[in-house]
Order: sequence, then structure tokens, then C-alpha cells
Amino acid sequence: MSLPPSTLPHRLPLCQLPAGSVGRVCELKGDPQFCQRVREMGFGESACVTKVSGTGTILCSVNGNRIALSHGAAQNILVDEIVRR
Amino acid sequence: MALPSHISSSAANPSSARTPVYALVGNPNCGKSTLFNALTGLKQKVGNYPGVTVEKKVGTAYSQHGQPITVIDLPGAYSLAARSPDEAVTRDVLLGRRADTAQPDRILCIIDATNLERNLYLVHQILDLGRPVLLVVNMMDLAAAAGTTVDVARLEQELGIPVIACEAVNGRGLIELKLAMSRADLPLARHAWAIPAAIAPAVTELQASLIAHDRKAPLVARAEALLLLTDQDSVRVAGSTPLHARTGEILRTWQQRWEGEGTDWAGTLVNSRYDAIGRIAAEVLLQTGETGPTASDQIDAVVTHPVWGWLVLGAVMTLLFLSIFTLAEYPMNVIDAQIAHLADGVKSAMPPGDLRDLLTSGAIAGVGGVIIFLPQILILFFFIGLLESTGYMARAAFIMDRLMARVGLNGKSFIPLLSSYACAIPGIMATRTIEDQKDRLVTILVAPLMSCSARLPVYLLMMAALVPGDRVPLLTKVGIMILMYALGTVGAFGFAWLFKRTLLKGAPPLMIMELPPYRLPRVKDVALHMLERGWLFLRRAGTIILGISIVLWFLSAYPKAPDGTTDQQQLAQSFAGRAGHLLEPAIRPLGFDWQIGIGLITSFAAREVFVSTMAVVFNAEAKDDDTTPLRQAMLAAQWPDGRALFTPLVCFTLMIFYVFAMQCISTIAVVRRETNGWKWPLFQTAYMTGTAWILSFIVYQGGTALGF
Repeated sequence: MSLPPSTLPHRLPLCQLPAGSVGRVCELKGDPQFCQRVREMGFGESACVTKVSGTGTILCSVNGNRIALSHGAAQNILVDEIVRR
Repeated sequence: MALPSHISSSAANPSSARTPVYALVGNPNCGKSTLFNALTGLKQKVGNYPGVTVEKKVGTAYSQHGQPITVIDLPGAYSLAARSPDEAVTRDVLLGRRADTAQPDRILCIIDATNLERNLYLVHQILDLGRPVLLVVNMMDLAAAAGTTVDVARLEQELGIPVIACEAVNGRGLIELKLAMSRADLPLARHAWAIPAAIAPAVTELQASLIAHDRKAPLVARAEALLLLTDQDSVRVAGSTPLHARTGEILRTWQQRWEGEGTDWAGTLVNSRYDAIGRIAAEVLLQTGETGPTASDQIDAVVTHPVWGWLVLGAVMTLLFLSIFTLAEYPMNVIDAQIAHLADGVKSAMPPGDLRDLLTSGAIAGVGGVIIFLPQILILFFFIGLLESTGYMARAAFIMDRLMARVGLNGKSFIPLLSSYACAIPGIMATRTIEDQKDRLVTILVAPLMSCSARLPVYLLMMAALVPGDRVPLLTKVGIMILMYALGTVGAFGFAWLFKRTLLKGAPPLMIMELPPYRLPRVKDVALHMLERGWLFLRRAGTIILGISIVLWFLSAYPKAPDGTTDQQQLAQSFAGRAGHLLEPAIRPLGFDWQIGIGLITSFAAREVFVSTMAVVFNAEAKDDDTTPLRQAMLAAQWPDGRALFTPLVCFTLMIFYVFAMQCISTIAVVRRETNGWKWPLFQTAYMTGTAWILSFIVYQGGTALGF
């Protein structure tokens, strides 16, 4: 279900995005080397991410790639929730 | 941009006698090695997980007209801004930084059609190098199944380089590829990529300095300048000369200016590349069908589940050990009978004497004792091959990530550890995919604690002595076996935890790892790899183990005792016996006598030598004309006071010892190479063997005190 257009998108770290929801990456925090690689793997600002599973180590899908991220990494990726399941 | 003369001439003048050299590059797990094997007919290892290839491999392909073409298979990389040692190999070869490899003439880029945009990122960087590039779009079949297709003609138009659709797995598109590869001239890319305005002046300035002061070719200089801005470590790695002071100064000046302005230069560069790629992808990607949750997603819902995932992992391990015990029994009996038959044949054909003893008690007993475990080794490698080929490896790493985080590593370190169940050497090589230097070292230090296939013969021999006959249920045997593997694994985790807190402190690294889609196992590849490992095992038996057995026979037969002494006395006063006696005080508290001591010494070469040594040592005592199975000879062995030597407790203690002891010269050599020195391999040998001694002491003394 999409959020009603009147509410602003909810911004949260990727690790807190509920499974099945879709978010748009809006900010990368932390170590520049890490940010660099995240961007290079297609995870940069404005990429759409679908959270597949997990609360500790998380599994998400970006452009059809399944990417596993450790909890610490997922905390550094802030997303705007755009589709909630 | 005008092309520098040396590049255009190398592209246009292939008639030189030298065979063209192609570098094969692409993202991890996009099928490079599969294509390499298809092109060259070689049998490089392939698998469905990122990081199978960690070193460059060179092979020769032949064009449709029989002209040789050299192909270099390189480790997969997501970017030229390398983060791990395996990616650095790729970057250094492409930039001509490696002393042992000339810069390749042409680049064969392979991309995964199911994953176009991310794959094109590396291509985009490579086009900057100004070398002729051939683009292969692999896995077109999988993309079609996922409901998309790539308009190859359009992609060719957009990039201005030849693009060939291919299915490397079944050889489709290979002829077109070979024809393209032998083309005399390859067009250079119309690489119209506008560097963001904020950064362009810096790139120009750095490029000029790299040409003037660092003596780089113009286009390489441009690529290096872009790399300097996205990867500050890229020039400091081994094998490259340090930056000229002037270039470094320009870089620092610009970085300070951007920092003052709040410009994220690295992010801007990556994002502008992705913008350019996004425009291309929009043109060439065609949606042909519905895209819903794929089969991989559905399997992952179970396999990566926090509860079900562990159950699946446990079931896989149990199934593995069950098959090792049940399926191997018949072929083992056949091999056993054949070896006994051979030994009896030699005995009846030759007159008694040293030569006959050398053949039967040395060569045949030693090698036979090891070869008998071939079926189990084959089953183990078949299973590991299945895990690698289906894509389960990466899932196991995913499940383990949380546990690994507790000890200060991440899930990526688990793949090398899993490979070490087969053999620590490929496991240690696989640590090259780990980005952080300290984490890589910790993983190397603990990898040999994972029970490798060479321990299997030792475990199985001890289990045969420990739980004789068929009185014990199969599941008990499986249980003891799983216990040994679990002990090694727990030990590896425990030491990783310890090292991360003491010697090699550091925060747990952030993991970002791609999980490949599940594929049906390629039985041919799995079988091939299994047979290759089996052959390697046999070759070791035929060379190292045969050699050691013969030498050991001499050492146990000489110096000759005066006539009339028993075989036991002969062995005791032989060279080998003296060495064993020398060691005995150190191992007596573990319940081991000097005869076991001989085995501990010789098996330092390789663990399975313990089995062949026991075969030689105990056959030397056996009566001349019968070949007793090793298990019975061992059970008959006694201490001088008549107590049985191989009590269940001693067998169990020996297994514990072999779980932890560093008994492998090849591993020590590989660790020395991968860590560039003797410090870490020596430390590793000391801590592992020390732990083995302490734990064996506790088990044996504790067990004795409890009355076992």
C-alpha cells in the first residue's frame, strides 16, 4: 500500500525498514571508503531498495541484485520509505 | 579527444608477430572463468559465488583460423577503485602496474545481462583507459527468464564498441566472439562522458602532472587521475611506484578546496557515472515479461530465515557425513581387498629379504593405508562442489554473519573458512576477497583450524579403532564426526575472537556482499572438480606419501639390530624409533607413546601421512607372511607393561590433537607467501600446535581421572 500523498516520506535507516517495503536511498553515512563501494554497487542516492528479510544481517534487493549487508552497514544507509507493505 | 599515437597504432596494427593479449574482466560471479574455460579449453575452477578466482590465470585461445590469442582471466571486480587484494590484481594488470604482466593490448569485458547497470559501471571505468574493448553480454538466457532482454545492437551503437551476446555456459555466441577477437582492428569507444564540471579542472591538472612527472601514457593518466579522486589508496599498493610529489600536492590542494566548499568529490564522480549508465540502460533494456518474486527469492525466504536457515545448514552437514559413512563403505572394502591382494602377490613372488619388506611394509602398506580413503575424499569434494555450484555458499556466509560479527569478523570471512573444510590452501587464497588487512590476517590464522580433507583419513582410522565393528550405531559415528568438525569450527571462532581483541584489534568490518541467484548444479563441473581433487589426492599418495613411506621404512629397519631380536626391539632401536623415543617425554602426558610419536613427526609434512606411518610402523611388527588390516595391528599394540596402547580415550585424544595441530607444510608455505614473511606462519604453527597439546592433555588426563 502506498502512503497517502499528504504525508512526507518517513526517513529511517535501512535496518529498520520493514521486510517487503521499498525505500529510496537518500543519505549514506560513515566511512568514505564504504560509501564509495555502496555507491559503486548501485546503492547510491536515489536508488530504490526492496528489503527482503532480516533484522540483524539484512538482505535487500537493488535493481534485481540481492545484496547482503551487515547490521552496521545497514545502519549507515538512510532511506525514505516509499512503499510500505 | 585525439588519440595518442601508441594506442591507435596498437589497435590498428595487429599484423605484428606477437599474439594479441586479451584481459578478461568483469564483476564477480558474472561468468568470466566459465567463458575463459570455454575459450581456452582449460579447466579453471568455476563456482556460483563471488570470489572463486583470486589470481590472474593465463591461457591460449585459438581464433576460427587457428591463430593463437592469449587470454588473461582476472579476478572479478566491482570497480577499478579496488578494495580488496583480489580486485587490486585486476586493477594493476589493467593499468600495466604489474612487473610480471605487460599491459594487455585489448580488454574483453564481460557483463551479466540480468544485472546490466551495475555491470556497466566497471565497463564505464574501463572505457576510460582508451584500450580497444570487446563487450560480451553473458547470461542472456537468465535475463530472458527474468523477463528482460538487452538490445545488443543498440548497446553497440551507444558505446561504439563491438558487443556480443553470449551464453558462456553452453557455448552459445562463442564463434561470433572468437571472430570478433581475431579482428585486425577494433574500434575505440565513442566514450562521451562529461566529467562533472566541479571536478573536471582537477582531473585535467592531475592528468597533466601524471604525464609530465609520473611518466604515464595520456589515457592511462586520465584513468589514474579519476582513480586518485575515488580511491586514495590506489597508488600505495605493492607493485606500484609512489606518486610524484608534485602530483600528490595537486591532489591535496584540490581536496582541501573541495572540503572547504563541502563538495563530495568521490560521490559526485560515482553518481555522474551512474547517471550516464542510467541513460544507456534506459535505451537498451527491454521489458519482455512480468517480473515478480523469482524462485531465488522464494528459496531465500527459507534458507536465509533466522530459524529455518540454521536447520537447513544442519541438515546439509548431517547429510554430508551420513553419505561419507554409508556410500563409501563398499568401494573402501574393494580397495582394501585389492591392496591386500597386491601385497600377498608380492610376498609370494619374491624371496624374503629387505627389498620385499621395503615393497610390502613400506610402499604398499604406506600408500595403501591412505588410498583406501579415496572414496570419502571424493564424496566430500562432491558435496562441497554442489554447495559452490548452486549458490548456497554465499547463503551460508549470510547466516553466519551474525555469529561472525560477535567474534569481530563478518560473513565474508566465512567463505574462506567454508572452503577450508576441503583444504586450507584454497581457503587461505580466498581470503584475498576480504577488504580489511587485519581481518584478512585473522581469517588466514584461523582457517587451518577448519577440519580439512586430509584430516578425514586420520579421523576415520581413529574412529575405526575407537568404535570397532558394527556394534555402534551409524548415527554415533556421524555424531563423533560432526563433533570433530564442530570443535575445529568453534576453535576457529574462538581464536578469531581472541586475535581481534588482542593482536589485531579493529572494529567489526561492515559487510556488503552480493548473493548470486540459485542455479541448478552443473554436475559436469562438480564431477570434474571432484575428480581433479581425487587425482591430486592420489598423486600425493604416489609421490609424497610413497616417498615418506619408503624413507620411513629405511629409518625403521636400520640400523639393523643383532639377529634374534624381536621386531619390536628392532623398531625401537632404529633411527625412527630413536626419534620417537626422543619425543616421547613430551607426548606421554597425552597418552601417546614413541610409536605414535613417529607418526606425529612424519605427519608434519601432511596430516594423512599419519595413517601411512602407522601402517608402516605396525606392519614392521607384524608376522612376515600375513597382511593384517591396520586397525587390528593397532588394536594389538601395547605399552611395555602390557596395557593396550590405542584405548578409546587415546584414539579420541589423538583426534582432538589433529583437530588443532598445524600439521601441513604446504599450508605454512602458502601463509608465508600470502603474509610476505615468516612471522605469521611461525606464530600460527606455534599457537595451533600449542593449543593441540594443551587440549589433548586436558582430555587425556581428565578422561583418565574419570576412569575411561
